Amino acid sequence: MATTNPHPASLLVRRATAIWALLGGVVIGLVVAANVWSVAGGALFSRPVPGVYEIVQVGVAMGMFMFLPYCQITGANVSADIFTARLRGRAQDSLAALGSTIALAFAAFLLWRMYYGLIDLQEYRETTTIYQFPIWIAYVPVLISLALLSLAALVNLIEAVTGTTPEREGAVH
Amino acid sequence: MGFELLIGLGGLVALVGLIAIRVPVAYAMATVGMAGIFMLSGPAILMSQLKSLGFGVFSNYDLSVVPMFILMGQVASKAGLSQALFRAANAWLGRLPGGVAMAAIAACAGFGSVCGSSLATASTMGQVALPELRRYKYSPALATGTLAAGGVLGILIPPSVVLVIYAVLVEANIVTMFSAALLPGLMAVLFFMVVIAIYVWLVPDAGPKGEPVSRAELLGATAGILPVLGIFGLVIGGIYMGLFTPTPAAAIGVFLVVVYGVARRMVSWGAMRDAVLETAKASGMIYMIVLGAELLKIFMSRGGVPQAAAEMMLNSGLSAHMILIILLLSLILLGCLMDSLSMILLVMPFFWPVVAQLDFGMSPEDTKIWFGVLALIVVELGLITPPVGMNVFVINAMARDVPMMETFKGAMPFFAAEVVRVVLLIAFPAIVLFLPNALS
Repeated sequence: MATTNPHPASLLVRRATAIWALLGGVVIGLVVAANVWSVAGGALFSRPVPGVYEIVQVGVAMGMFMFLPYCQITGANVSADIFTARLRGRAQDSLAALGSTIALAFAAFLLWRMYYGLIDLQEYRETTTIYQFPIWIAYVPVLISLALLSLAALVNLIEAVTGTTPEREGAVH
Repeated sequence: MGFELLIGLGGLVALVGLIAIRVPVAYAMATVGMAGIFMLSGPAILMSQLKSLGFGVFSNYDLSVVPMFILMGQVASKAGLSQALFRAANAWLGRLPGGVAMAAIAACAGFGSVCGSSLATASTMGQVALPELRRYKYSPALATGTLAAGGVLGILIPPSVVLVIYAVLVEANIVTMFSAALLPGLMAVLFFMVVIAIYVWLVPDAGPKGEPVSRAELLGATAGILPVLGIFGLVIGGIYMGLFTPTPAAAIGVFLVVVYGVARRMVSWGAMRDAVLETAKASGMIYMIVLGAELLKIFMSRGGVPQAAAEMMLNSGLSAHMILIILLLSLILLGCLMDSLSMILLVMPFFWPVVAQLDFGMSPEDTKIWFGVLALIVVELGLITPPVGMNVFVINAMARDVPMMETFKGAMPFFAAEVVRVVLLIAFPAIVLFLPNALS
């Protein structure tokens, strides 16, 4: 099947996931900076950044969730192709549709559960030990990421059903 | 057989089925894991666990080196580091028969010392070394096979993403694992060069001599790799010496590679953007698999499957080494189906309890380290063998005129060298254990 031009709505979601991933990159970049600052400060003035451990944990978790929608929409999740590589276009598309449906269901389910996770964290006022940073705040970008992940899986699903997936690959994966 | 074990085994069958019909490995694991927890522990437990499980897995401190080492490798591949490495290696080795291929192996090893992934190493070094190998009329099989095999050094030489995941799974020390993998990694470099030497001795036309270089070029090219040596020395050396732990070390590595790239005017905003997006894809996929594997692990241990598998193996009457070989062979077979990370995450919860019970005449801690290095080598073999040899695909895509089978054939002698290496490491565990014990 020839690659038709993606629908404007699909392009919009693609762009949104890329921007969101780049923002995730900025968050991870800040974590990198905090570590470098801490090592340099420790070595030069014996004054490392306190609680870098916490910054790493919270920062990387946020950044990594923010990577997921882009990972989904570009089809970067690994799958085993050797049993299905010989199938024809239509059959390939139905399998891709199944994969996207599962991804969509998982993302939406996790979004729903983690929303209640956020409410719990607010209720019990859970914070990190050193900075007293309320953990629920870190859940906000996570929930946005999961919403975007659901949207990305939905776009993949629609593209698979209509046979318009732009990055349909060959036998590699 | 108990009801719970039955459900557990049914879950494994369902998992294989889902993976076979191309459901992404991460989602297949997550789906089966959740369904299993639902059946064995009930909906209430599943619902409440999912409130915090995802964040808990993603905020694992030890895992944080994964995106950082991947980013470091991505920036390094844009920063012109690979050219500098190849130029220096070629200045020293190029004049020998097969020397340009040996130089490619040496450069892959150098790149592997700042990059934790095989595919990134294969594709980066391939772009640099493949045109040179073809310019000197190396046979297509040797040229592409060398690069496909050389890419594996990306993961065999620390830092290595697979080793990080293994360490997290079996609760080993990442620093210990990195130091354990170093000597075997250097051994691989040596073996690969010997393979090339034998290859061109048997088939002289396959790898002609390169041109001798002037002394000035030799010095200039060697000076060009000083920054790489400095970065590797500081990051990995710093980890071994206990100056810092892996996460700050990885952060410093990212920082230095960016500085190097910007100073050489190779890393622009556009290149940074691409590096971050590539990192998002590679590390996002890994975290997703780790989350799926965590759900699957909860289900499986609730069902008692790992314990049952361990019991069966231990009561089989086979010797410890026999069982080890069976496990390693099954990893090679699985490597025909899936990538190394999914494989490690999928099987270690089953394999490790078995291996932990076996007596190899060494301490449990040593067994953990030794088995990790063996498993690392074995899972990477799938990268250079049919049907899903990813490294072979990557290199072959750069040399469209070379048939895929030629590349697989060219990679075969390296595969043989890897098998010899695994046998030696099984026979002499000291090669793995010497450095970690000397450092601790």
